[in-house]
Amino acid sequence: MQFENKTLIHELLLLSHQSTQAALQFKNLPIEQLNFRETENSWSALQCLDHLNKYGEFYLPEIDKQILNNPVQNQQLSFKSGVLGNYFANLMQVKSGQLKKMKSPKDKAPSNSGLTLITIDKFLKQQERLIQLLTDAQAINLTTAKTPISLSKLIKLRLGDTLRFYVYHIDRHVIQAQTAVKTMAR
Amino acid sequence: MEQPNFIEKLNATFEEFGQQKVVSRGQFILKVGEVERNLYFVKSGAIRVFYLTEFDEQIIRFGYKDSLINSLSSFINQNPSEFYIEAIRKTTLQIISRDKLYQLVNENEESLKQYILLLETLITQQIDREIDLLITSPSERLKRVLSRSPNLFQEIPLKYIASYLRMKPETLSRIRNS
Repeated sequence: MQFENKTLIHELLLLSHQSTQAALQFKNLPIEQLNFRETENSWSALQCLDHLNKYGEFYLPEIDKQILNNPVQNQQLSFKSGVLGNYFANLMQVKSGQLKKMKSPKDKAPSNSGLTLITIDKFLKQQERLIQLLTDAQAINLTTAKTPISLSKLIKLRLGDTLRFYVYHIDRHVIQAQTAVKTMAR
Repeated sequence: MEQPNFIEKLNATFEEFGQQKVVSRGQFILKVGEVERNLYFVKSGAIRVFYLTEFDEQIIRFGYKDSLINSLSSFINQNPSEFYIEAIRKTTLQIISRDKLYQLVNENEESLKQYILLLETLITQQIDREIDLLITSPSERLKRVLSRSPNLFQEIPLKYIASYLRMKPETLSRIRNS
């Protein structure tokens, strides 16, 4: 798949802003609602955000590194997706509002207890950082710049795909979090 | 008769005018964005003051028995606090307002002098802390902090001390045992 940097970044920024707004709404809710789990195996809203925070701890520095280490280009750039990157991005992308159940890596499993409003604030800080990085990424060659993935440092994705995968992953879990709080309100 | 000094007056003010508040473990005394309007005296328990980054919670200060503590820059400037203050365990605080403190400070020249002395002590403590963070040897860093706060390990759980010292809990355990 081929994208214009400008178009791709615009889409990812829009989605990121949406996720940020959703998290801001969570701040108005009582902590019990944010910690509510429908079943033993489902996650509360705070657990969803905690999971995302763990991913941010890995990906934000990696994305930052690539932006720092790759030259800023003054021309209109386009990005060509890689096979693996495209696969991950599509896997994460939420299509027609439906969320399929997925297994998450064990080391990124959220904490079972002790989650507070700090989890939301941390997520919001990560989002702030992400939006900054997305804006800076527009002028970088997103095809030649590559980041490792959290599953294995040996596997590298094109930066454009990392950004897509990362933003879609956030969207997915934010929707999951919204469902979790709505379930209690029923 | 000798005039009571500023610290004695401060303690007396806390006793007389201070509002007592009990906070439970995990309760926030102040959150980022709120303006600090109080000075807290810790009667019992323990609290932490920390800065939240995208990646972790950086503890900058502890308050335990007999500490005076607050979110100082917010207290002085009346700008939104950049720090959280959270109780690490059940804590009893004695609280006086900013207005009350300044009333006390401005009462006479002696109070003003004492307040300045207090601030000078605080400033040197801040510089000591800055040096702490520049020191590369973890054991030396620990030694410095312990010389200022010998009771630290009795009052504060290890994982928080490790955060304050900017090292992993495992590193802290290791250097303590060696």
